[in-house]
Amino acid sequence: MQQAYKLSIFYYILFSLLLILSAVMLFEHKIGFSYNSVLDYYIGNEDKFIPAQSAAGILKIVLPHIFVFGLFAMVLLHFLVFTDLKSRRVFLILIYVTFITALLDIFTPFMIISGWSFFAYIKILSFFTFLSLTLFTLWLLFRKIR
Amino acid sequence: MKFTVVKNIQKNSSMSLILRGFLLFILLYLISDVLVLKSGFGITFEAVNTTLKGNEELYIDAMNEASFLEFWHTQIFFIMMILLTLSSIFIRVANRSRAILTNALMLSAITSLISLPLTFYLSNFFTYIYVIAYFFWHAIALYMILYALWKLNATSV
Repeated sequence: MQQAYKLSIFYYILFSLLLILSAVMLFEHKIGFSYNSVLDYYIGNEDKFIPAQSAAGILKIVLPHIFVFGLFAMVLLHFLVFTDLKSRRVFLILIYVTFITALLDIFTPFMIISGWSFFAYIKILSFFTFLSLTLFTLWLLFRKIR
Repeated sequence: MKFTVVKNIQKNSSMSLILRGFLLFILLYLISDVLVLKSGFGITFEAVNTTLKGNEELYIDAMNEASFLEFWHTQIFFIMMILLTLSSIFIRVANRSRAILTNALMLSAITSLISLPLTFYLSNFFTYIYVIAYFFWHAIALYMILYALWKLNATSV
């Protein structure tokens, strides 16, 4: 790989870390990381004066995220061909799990407002799994280009 | 990213045309970005401070934290994707100063993005850094786009 392209990838890693930081701050501020706060945010809480989210309202947030998650995951994962990840099996598992957790993170709110409260756990779990896998991939990339 | 492995990009007329079209769109995005920011968030020290912290004399409310975090989050994503593609094209066509310019572009963009929450949560002082870094990375990006367009145009049919 050309030295100059390593520079682009290095900055992509830095931007990704900033994006993850902003995502965590936004999630923590708007929703919260506990089971109850996720339920409150999506199905509302009269005692706390929190209005329930409608399917249309969630769709407005979900729409740009479908494109963004797909693009971000694709760009990040396609850099894996430059890394030392020799095992094709691990490579495939990483790709599958990253896309599946991204999908779960995006679509679990619809399940929550449909009455499946259990999906609040899946929402939190998929959010952190996606971020962890992203950080792991970024670390693999960083190791390769340093 | 096929263009990163094409041997002589200037002589590949179709790839050159695609990249010129793409660069034109990045140029339009950057111009629109400045215009949109000017009419909303602000691009001067006073305007950015007023948007973030509000102004009692003008009865302008401060931006709430959720709106700020959404704005910041969106900005990071768009700038990241645009600068990754722009720097990849520039690196492909430029012969000299590509590392210096790429570093300057990326560092100033990251500085402007980090200055935003520092302004919101800490001090108005960081507004100066944000505005200066914002215009600095836009100026470098503009130069990189024009240079890449010129290089691609010079040697293609």
